Amino acid sequence: MKFATLLLLALAATAQTLDPAKLSQPPTDSWPSYNGDYSGRRFSPLTQINAANVHRMSLAWVHRINAQAGGQFGIAIKSSPVVVEGVMFFTIPDHVWAIDARTGRELWHFTWPSRGGIHIGNRGVAVAGKWLYFTTPDCNLVSLNMKDGKERWHKKICDPDLLYFSSAAPLVVGNHVIAGISGDDLDVPGYIQSHDPETGEQQWRWYTYPEPGSPEAKTWPTIESMMHGGGMTWGSVTHDPELGLIYFGTGNPQPVIAHKGREGDNLYTECIIALDVKTGKIRWYFQSSPHDTHDWDANQTPVLIDGTINGQPRKLIAQASRNGYFFVLDRATGKNIVSKPFAKVNWSKGFDKRGQPIPDPAKFPQIDGALVAPNQAGAANWPPPSYSPATGLFYVNASNAYSVYYLFDTDDKPEGWGGNDRGGFSESMLQAIDYKTGLIKWSHKWEGAGGPRNGVLSTAGNVVFAADPQANFIALNATTGQALWRANLQASISNAPISYALDGIQYVVVAANDTLYGFAMNRSN
Amino acid sequence: MRTPVFLVFTLTLAAQQRPSAPAPRGLPDGPGKDAVVRVCGSSCHGPQIISGKGYTPQGWTAVTNAMIARGAKATPEETNDIVEYLAKNLPPRSGTAGAGGVGFIGAGPDDAHVVDVEAAGRGKAIYAAECVSCHGPKGRGVSDGVPPAQRGADIVRSLVVLKDRYGATIGDFMKRGHPMQSGKPSASIVGSELQDLSHFLHQKVTDTLRNGPYSQVINVLTGDAKAGEAYFHGAGGCVKCHDAKGDLAGVGSKYDPPTLQQKFLFPRAFGRGVLGPVKPPKPVLLTVTTQDGKTFKGTLVHLDDFNASLRDSSGEYYSWRRTPALKVTKEDPYAGHNALLDQYTDKNMHDIVAYLEKLK
Repeated sequence: MKFATLLLLALAATAQTLDPAKLSQPPTDSWPSYNGDYSGRRFSPLTQINAANVHRMSLAWVHRINAQAGGQFGIAIKSSPVVVEGVMFFTIPDHVWAIDARTGRELWHFTWPSRGGIHIGNRGVAVAGKWLYFTTPDCNLVSLNMKDGKERWHKKICDPDLLYFSSAAPLVVGNHVIAGISGDDLDVPGYIQSHDPETGEQQWRWYTYPEPGSPEAKTWPTIESMMHGGGMTWGSVTHDPELGLIYFGTGNPQPVIAHKGREGDNLYTECIIALDVKTGKIRWYFQSSPHDTHDWDANQTPVLIDGTINGQPRKLIAQASRNGYFFVLDRATGKNIVSKPFAKVNWSKGFDKRGQPIPDPAKFPQIDGALVAPNQAGAANWPPPSYSPATGLFYVNASNAYSVYYLFDTDDKPEGWGGNDRGGFSESMLQAIDYKTGLIKWSHKWEGAGGPRNGVLSTAGNVVFAADPQANFIALNATTGQALWRANLQASISNAPISYALDGIQYVVVAANDTLYGFAMNRSN
Repeated sequence: MRTPVFLVFTLTLAAQQRPSAPAPRGLPDGPGKDAVVRVCGSSCHGPQIISGKGYTPQGWTAVTNAMIARGAKATPEETNDIVEYLAKNLPPRSGTAGAGGVGFIGAGPDDAHVVDVEAAGRGKAIYAAECVSCHGPKGRGVSDGVPPAQRGADIVRSLVVLKDRYGATIGDFMKRGHPMQSGKPSASIVGSELQDLSHFLHQKVTDTLRNGPYSQVINVLTGDAKAGEAYFHGAGGCVKCHDAKGDLAGVGSKYDPPTLQQKFLFPRAFGRGVLGPVKPPKPVLLTVTTQDGKTFKGTLVHLDDFNASLRDSSGEYYSWRRTPALKVTKEDPYAGHNALLDQYTDKNMHDIVAYLEKLK
């Protein structure tokens, strides 16, 4: 695969509109979607900032959001900014901002009048033409005009009365806006749906349970348990334009911890799913956590890798799953190629013939507790990983963690959660995984307790940008894992970094709590 | 497009009434609120995520410990202040609306039905008289072991209840006619009786949530104390640092069993005693030797890839940039406990709890 080196395009002050072709190209003068491109690999082909000179990278601008904006729910920026034609768009729940990507200056700020829902985070916007799309905690998909932040339309995508909400960044694929949903308080079914980018009308909805009567439906004891079985769709969506498929992970089954009454694998919860983007029909599935009882949503980004296995070029897809396992599959068929732990796991008894872990019943939640690794926060979580085609390594911020899982509700028909994990120990590290084998090429351990809640960016400059649990934004050598540069931002890094170049300057932007920091190679020597 | 079976009800929402005042938003004032806002609102979520929750002191201790394990940054003093504040200001309750809704971390709409606990108590009597034999004591329905005519729907999963506000939807449903245990017409349930029943049914829904009354550790005393004692003296190597008649004398009275279990597994996590706050965990120690051979020892203040700092026993603060020439040694007094996590079987864990619990 070839990469453009730095594009020295002098951009005129053009109106903001996105050329759809940019969505499937490696991002250079833009970062047009949550992951930068459809592959989900969060890889920048830019090289102006590289392993040899990143120690000279310095601050270009700061943007602190209005401290009142987050209201009562806090204001951490967890979204990945999207950059189109020199303008950056980012979110927190109910709020969207447009700022100048060169200076951090605010252009507009949109506030959604909320009617409730969980405000834990928002992952950001999607763009089609001159329109933005984002989801809200009270279950709306909203479209704004990029130019001025004026609302064009909003469509209800779920029902807050059933304790659904949405935090997901939508994805635009051609004539589709794909939107996922969240909510695992009550026993409700998950789904994902597609909307018309112009009108907002729903085009299709795919429920995360099988057709009643199908072989997959036999992974539930009853129709009722299946249709109340959870499987939310809050992770990021990736896409292969040649295959016409979208990929995403599904969340935990319901009831979450107390699993009596949902004996079986519980398809399609905890799966990597491939759907035909035009019809919303399922093409294949791979279950990362059959019969999960630990809230280990398999919503981590399924990352597209165009790689080589046994000398043969292959279209692959990889996930570092919350349950501690790294999976590589053929993305045309879902057939398993690699299943290996990337962090401590003690809950499985090996793999089935599909390459899926087999849960150990001894490590199901118990009345008197079961000591389980990883903990509920997981070996990985929502912060997105990165894959560098330059090094062939998959980078993920990971945790070795233990906690005790208890069963609280011993009813014959538990509902909701019915248990939880308590306490714990965790240590964290950045793992560089060889996708061909699943082996850890290098591991950079972070000092301090707790897992970092931030994502990763890799670049053609042989740099990986990540963060430690102590508020350091860090550049590492992508080949060796050596730490090269840091900025302590005095608040935990709260999103995943992005990179783009404007007027010959490469920027790297990251958020720490309520503030975005724009770093750049301000000097050329 | 498929529609789930339980979404096929057609609903008419009557004018919604809200007889009781909504629960106040935000956190009550009190000692420790500052620490809650500072620590719990700094990274993953805002402090108001706590609003509307209610736990026992042990429950809040467990929640706080879990958050520390997930990376919440608090000094032992702050941790203590936080648990004290939460235990005092947010005791267990049922169905109280928090910021943004009824559920955990604000799940649900702002205009969610807010349960009046007293009214729900009155509603329970109506439920017992008219509903329980078909819908079950927890409202989850009955299907096994009863005649088909008595197999009632799951009320917790019913749209009639989930869409209801203060009896509006439930009232419409009852007006249409529904069998009751006494044989009375269901349409006769109106007014305050309907309100009370509505509060009770909503309470059954909120009971299933993560902050509901079922969220309690039931019993961890299932182990063999003798086997625990053997592990303590043998494979666990606990006697290298501990003495059942010395530092651990009376530990079984100091902590309730679930806290005791957490405390020996994860000593770094704050453990609150049955009688209140206990000694904070021991700090991590740092020894730094500089290029010119000087050695500094003290409590670790900060350590990352680039910098190190400590405070020595006289209270002096020292800070360095890390270089290959600077020798930094970290000593965690709980390193042995952490290493044991890879070794314990669940049986070991239960046996140790049983043994320690007997050290009264």
